Amino acid sequence: MVETILLVGVVASIFVGFNIGGSSTGIAWGPAVGAGLLRKTTAAALMTFFVFLGGWTVGRNVMDTLSEGIITIDISLGAGVAVLFFIGLGILVANVFGVPVPTSMTTVGAIAGLGLATGTLNFETIGWIVSWWIVTPIIGFWIGATIGRYIYPELNRRFEIKASEGALLTFDRSGSIPKPTLGPNTTNQELVGTIVVFIIGCYMAFSAGASNVPNAVAPLVSSGALEANPAIIVATVAIGLGGFTIARRTMESVGGELSDIPLLAALIVMITASTITTLLSWAGIPISLVMSSVMTIVGLGWGRATRPVTAQEAIRGESDKELAPGALTAEPDAPVTPIGEEEPEEVLDAGDLFNPRAVMKYISMWVIGPSMSTLLAYGFFVAVPFVG
Amino acid sequence: MISRVLVPMDGSEMSEHALEYALEAYPTAEITVLRVVGEPSPMWGEASGLALADNLEEAAQNLAEPTFARARELVADADGDADLETAVELGHPVRSIINRADDYDTVVIGSHGGTVADRLYVGNVAKQVVHRSPTPVVVVR
Repeated sequence: MVETILLVGVVASIFVGFNIGGSSTGIAWGPAVGAGLLRKTTAAALMTFFVFLGGWTVGRNVMDTLSEGIITIDISLGAGVAVLFFIGLGILVANVFGVPVPTSMTTVGAIAGLGLATGTLNFETIGWIVSWWIVTPIIGFWIGATIGRYIYPELNRRFEIKASEGALLTFDRSGSIPKPTLGPNTTNQELVGTIVVFIIGCYMAFSAGASNVPNAVAPLVSSGALEANPAIIVATVAIGLGGFTIARRTMESVGGELSDIPLLAALIVMITASTITTLLSWAGIPISLVMSSVMTIVGLGWGRATRPVTAQEAIRGESDKELAPGALTAEPDAPVTPIGEEEPEEVLDAGDLFNPRAVMKYISMWVIGPSMSTLLAYGFFVAVPFVG
Repeated sequence: MISRVLVPMDGSEMSEHALEYALEAYPTAEITVLRVVGEPSPMWGEASGLALADNLEEAAQNLAEPTFARARELVADADGDADLETAVELGHPVRSIINRADDYDTVVIGSHGGTVADRLYVGNVAKQVVHRSPTPVVVVR
């Protein structure tokens, strides 16, 4: 009987890990694959390796929090399996609707639901975790906004890394061994930039492992049904499986979106998000890589879109659209005669891109996801108490 | 007499139907195709990409161009000699459409486009436009 339940649990773990592999491989490797630096298969292999590394080292701290910290008792095997089903359900919803539902939050939510139903929730720990969930997006946004507003333009001038048309590298097949040469339009700087993206991809895979490996297996580890070491291996294999299969699609969807931003910006986002995720995982706080990534992206764009034009820039004529004649008139409807340069028919305002209400609506989904998983799990464990 | 028509397009098939309808129903009108780029999306990639672009106008125009090209094809298919104006706006589609609608006699819009995720982030654009537009709106199914 126990073996059967454990088997079901492991299958559920693999399902969760498989889906995590799909989504996080897309984020970690989308830009590098998009830039043509490496093939999807290579990306998946690197992903598996660094996820394992992250899960084996830093991930243990998160594993402890999930399996022992959130509720005061051990999660029984049956309850663990049920919790895994709720995590899987969250992921399924995320995949079907194409919404990024942060897995770490769903996991904590489901375990907290169990804790509420059995009266064993450790409110101190959960308060600590939730407060970090509130602070983390703000930190990500703030870092992004600061860089976007004050540092990015300068960085962009110094390190211009743009993906040029055509493949990054081509192979010179005239000799017996294909020799990689720079592709058409590829500059040395672009090559260096892309290699950096590659290294950052490994770093991001590491942080994905640290934060996500425990999500797939912690509910089984808690009861002692599965030891931590084999559990980490099971999760790694499942994540790798997802990386090799469904990530082909997510590398295009999620990774494609990351490719919409300049490579330099993608780098900044990845470094920031991975660092936040690794540090918090090290502190044992379950945190989602997606959350810090998105908030850094929004921060970067918003910071850049709303930056004021400095007097110096204005004098040197380096500002762009902010100084378009229309923007300076007190009455927006008054016809303006452009001086000097021909005024474009309409002046686009980058500030429109980050409508505060749209951003808030987006963030509210992070609240709804874990809340739903808490409520569902709570309802379930109240209705089926013997599992707890 | 309808002489100025706004057709917001998002690249979806439904928005193409809207343009086809507009061409058929208002053959003599001046039609403006509006493409809103940098909408809220799961990772905010397009919006941030635009904000970080060296040349915002150019980047926005590039993103919108495939939709305009498709619109010109549809005009050619309809044997129309209709003048096709194009316009690009940034950010939330509903706000952009409403802001412009005043300059037109009518807005012709597809009933829905995009994916479920788009709906979550942006909502049903046509529905919101119908509610808030200062000018009459034709919703095409």
